[in-house]
Amino acid sequence: MTFETSLYTIKSAIILDNEGKRLFAKYYKAPHSEVNDELLSSEKKQIAFESSLFKKTHKLNTDIILFENQIVVYREFADVIIYMTGDLNENETLLYNVLQGFIGALEIVLRNQLDKKSMQENYDLVVLAIDETVDDGIILETDPSVIASRVTKAPTEDVTNIKIDLSEKGFFNALNFAKKNISDRLQAL
Amino acid sequence: MSTHSYKKFEDSDSGALPDKMTVYQECLQAFNASPVQAKRCRLLLSRLLRLLYAGETFPRVEATNMFFSISKLFHHNDASLRQLVYLATKELCAISDDILMATASIMKDIQNGEIVYKPNAVRTLARVLDGTTIHAAERAMRNCVVDKNPNVSSAALVSSYHLLPVAKDVVKRWTNETQEAITSNKSFPDSQYSTHEHYGNNKLLSTTYTYQYHALGLLYQLRNHDKMALMKMIQQFDSQPLRSSLATVQLIRYVGQLIEEDGDLTQPLWRFFPVWLKNKSDMVELEAAKTILSLPKFTSDQQMQAIGTLQVLLSVPRTVTRFAAVRILNRIAMKNPQKIMVCNIELEGMINDSNRSVSTYAITTLLKTGNSENVDRLVKTISGFMDDISDEFKIIVIDAIRTLSLKFPEKHKSMLNFLNDVLRDEGGFVFKNAIIEAIFDISKFIPSSRELALEMLCEFIEDCEYTELAVRVLHLLGDEGPKTSNPTLYIRHIYNRVVLENSIVRSSAVIALSKFALIGDESITKSIKVLLERCLQDVDDEVRDRAALSLKLLSTKDIEQAKNFITPTFKYSLPILEQQLSLYVKSNDKSSFEYPFDIKTIPTMTEEEAKTAEFKEKTTVYDESSIHVDSSKKDKEEKLNESTKEAMLQQQYSHDFAAIPEIAAYGTLLHSSVAVELTEKETEFVVTAVKHIFENHVVIQYNIENTLTDIQLEDVSVVSLPEVDDYSEEFLMPIDVLKPQTKGSIYVSFTRPESIETSSFTNTLSYTSKDIDPSTGEPADEEEGFPDEYQIEDLSITPGDFIIPSFTGNFTLAWDDLDNEESAVFNLGDVPSGGLQEVVDRLIKTLSMMACESTDIVSASASHVLKLYGKSIHGEKIAAIIRLAASSKGIMMKNQVRSSDANLSELVANHIE
Repeated sequence: MTFETSLYTIKSAIILDNEGKRLFAKYYKAPHSEVNDELLSSEKKQIAFESSLFKKTHKLNTDIILFENQIVVYREFADVIIYMTGDLNENETLLYNVLQGFIGALEIVLRNQLDKKSMQENYDLVVLAIDETVDDGIILETDPSVIASRVTKAPTEDVTNIKIDLSEKGFFNALNFAKKNISDRLQAL
Repeated sequence: MSTHSYKKFEDSDSGALPDKMTVYQECLQAFNASPVQAKRCRLLLSRLLRLLYAGETFPRVEATNMFFSISKLFHHNDASLRQLVYLATKELCAISDDILMATASIMKDIQNGEIVYKPNAVRTLARVLDGTTIHAAERAMRNCVVDKNPNVSSAALVSSYHLLPVAKDVVKRWTNETQEAITSNKSFPDSQYSTHEHYGNNKLLSTTYTYQYHALGLLYQLRNHDKMALMKMIQQFDSQPLRSSLATVQLIRYVGQLIEEDGDLTQPLWRFFPVWLKNKSDMVELEAAKTILSLPKFTSDQQMQAIGTLQVLLSVPRTVTRFAAVRILNRIAMKNPQKIMVCNIELEGMINDSNRSVSTYAITTLLKTGNSENVDRLVKTISGFMDDISDEFKIIVIDAIRTLSLKFPEKHKSMLNFLNDVLRDEGGFVFKNAIIEAIFDISKFIPSSRELALEMLCEFIEDCEYTELAVRVLHLLGDEGPKTSNPTLYIRHIYNRVVLENSIVRSSAVIALSKFALIGDESITKSIKVLLERCLQDVDDEVRDRAALSLKLLSTKDIEQAKNFITPTFKYSLPILEQQLSLYVKSNDKSSFEYPFDIKTIPTMTEEEAKTAEFKEKTTVYDESSIHVDSSKKDKEEKLNESTKEAMLQQQYSHDFAAIPEIAAYGTLLHSSVAVELTEKETEFVVTAVKHIFENHVVIQYNIENTLTDIQLEDVSVVSLPEVDDYSEEFLMPIDVLKPQTKGSIYVSFTRPESIETSSFTNTLSYTSKDIDPSTGEPADEEEGFPDEYQIEDLSITPGDFIIPSFTGNFTLAWDDLDNEESAVFNLGDVPSGGLQEVVDRLIKTLSMMACESTDIVSASASHVLKLYGKSIHGEKIAAIIRLAASSKGIMMKNQVRSSDANLSELVANHIE
């Protein structure tokens, strides 16, 4: 047996909807090395892989299967399935921990609404969460709250130039400003 | 159009993708606008990413444009926008040009940027840089590795890891910082950057120690080739264990790798394992157990500890953990079934597991652990739930049953009954085919089961809806039926097919019938002829043709010739035939088609040889019983290659020799040994030897690999001196030039005595070495080199070199048939760390005989009986019973050897390595 001494652990992260259509798919490849894996280069192969994987897993809820010489761990929700895949010799529980970390983080940032609609509306949060979990195949973090804490929310509005700081500090600033102005005025009197 | 599809995308239920061109245009516009609107830009970036992650891609020019526009967003200071900017930059790096221009902005963020996006900046930097530009970032990277913030440190470590293939020597410079990162205590800053209302039960931890995992992974790569440094690295965890589970799993793998390379480290490193086996995290426990069970040098007691851990994990509620545990057990079940019998209760409880993969693994593992006592009970349990599982899983069970019956030939009756029962059940073609295959194998390899199996098959074809299966069964009936005590019984069944079935089945029935005519019984031959004559009236021409051909052959005077046609005694090696044919057809050289394909180049096998090969293949331990149909096909191909590799190699040797006229003159190659190592694997010159036996000669092929990078060898030869005078050297074919890091072969030929003689050869490698000029890759012209010698280990010609493993269905019978018994007793010395199994494996290999009655698997630790069977190159049969007993005084071995050749049995009995 060969031991997996490389840190490149996750082969792909995939999110499909309830018809097996892609919401997100990333097949990881080490950034500075040449890889000759057809699954990485050919989109057609990927789509075929996803659709047969979907058929094998849809509505089965078995958490894990061996599929096309990969270990696939997954969780199914109302209308999405989230997959992560790794090498056949990979530690199954380790993979599942990564998946759980990611899903946990999604639950936090999407406020427990793990469905297709909310994922599409908050696509930025989803992709950031994934990017904070796996970096080109290397596991970055598996703790849900730590992953979630790294995901920034979108700016609330585009107010140009005028910034109203509503935090306590901002309030104090405003108060001090007012205090100073008023005392100035009073002294001037 | 664009607005339309754009709107469609807004309706998020539709799942439609945003229009590519619209997104492209809008992005360029918004990113170049001033002032930048952060919210809108983040939305557009997220749409862009949606496209990229759905598999859309941009042409290089457009991607570069996009990359350039996105870099404008660095002017806006909103942290949440910046984070997404980094993600988009990272994704675009692979498809854009001029990515280096982003370096300055990124470096600025790494030095003074907000802590929120600093890790993202570091990770993006690794994509922008390459081997030549990394120097600029050296200082920044070092600082980030030692940063107190775990996220920053992890990001820097992971980025360094990504950069290893292009800049290992630069990354090496922060080895010390990496080392420091493993042991340091880092924790998240007080205010994590993003607060979400919905943390639920998840508390934000102060640290997760994941940076240990990244640092360890990087450090291992930096010290990869230095065993001492690795040992030192591992030893530091004696006093300071790793806190991160991920890091621990990784460490276990490194330890496993070290042990695999150097088995002597097994026991010194064992001290870590007990703690790992009791870790709070499942993944650590699993990894430790898996490592212990996949390496040969752990003691049986240590393996039992690992199995104990797995046993506990079998009953945890987490499906994935159960799956992993049962998968490991399943893998070792074939080799060491008795070891996992302690888990049988848990395994039986898992038969009805809600996860079908888990239940199937449990069943097959149980079947593999079956021993002659509990097999019957197991089979009964399984027939109880056969109805509840799908075809796909039934097939796996059937396969397991088949292997089991080959292992316990005496239990064939209950197995066959089980198979017969399931054969009657409803099921698709693949399922039925698996059952038929299993029955075929049982009848083929267990002679005593033949009549019962054939009877079942006869019944089956009476009512068989699959033409293909009926044809195969008829073929088998034709082959095996005539050998039974009551052949007429089958003739009736076969003729029924001629009357009732379609033309394909009818024609194969005709051939099967004609085989019965060759038994030699006049009355049978006569009635077969009558039956065949009736077939001449058939409506189908193929049936008529075959009947006419058979009748013609049967009426020839020379019955032997007829036999050659109807029941040929040899088979072509199909994989080699296939390979040669495809080579022939694919050949680009038109002239090669001038000659017809020569079937004579394909090696033929007698029926017995074919059986030997097949039996070997069927009882080999498969690493992964293919639980899913998709990959099983591929697996099978690989396995096939494995089992035919030997035959291919032999073929290759013959082919090579045909090209050397001196050796070609020796006649056909009778037997080639496996390659024997004559040096350590790590030496400057790695030498292996293969012994080729010819009718009157022995050719030793020395394979030499020059592993040096700067030395070229010339005039390489081996001085090989036989110990016995019976061997005399004929010629030697040296290697003229052996360039650095290349391989070559030297052939030394000896005449060999008529009888089988053993001898050892002392070997010395002699050569002239020349230094290589690194600039040209050639040695300098004036370089004369100096002659040198290199001592390599002795090689012996053993009796095993003259023996070919062979299969016998009934060892006791074969044993009783042979005489010339010789016996001998040896003390083999201390028990090796692999136990008796290691001794048995070695014996099978050196004697080059086939283990019968599955005695190649050692089931008890103290004693074992090994039964071996083979044939000499002259066709003499040989059988051996080897009794082994291990005690504190070492391993005692008692050989009993019988052979049709007295000399051979004496040699084998007295041979000890």
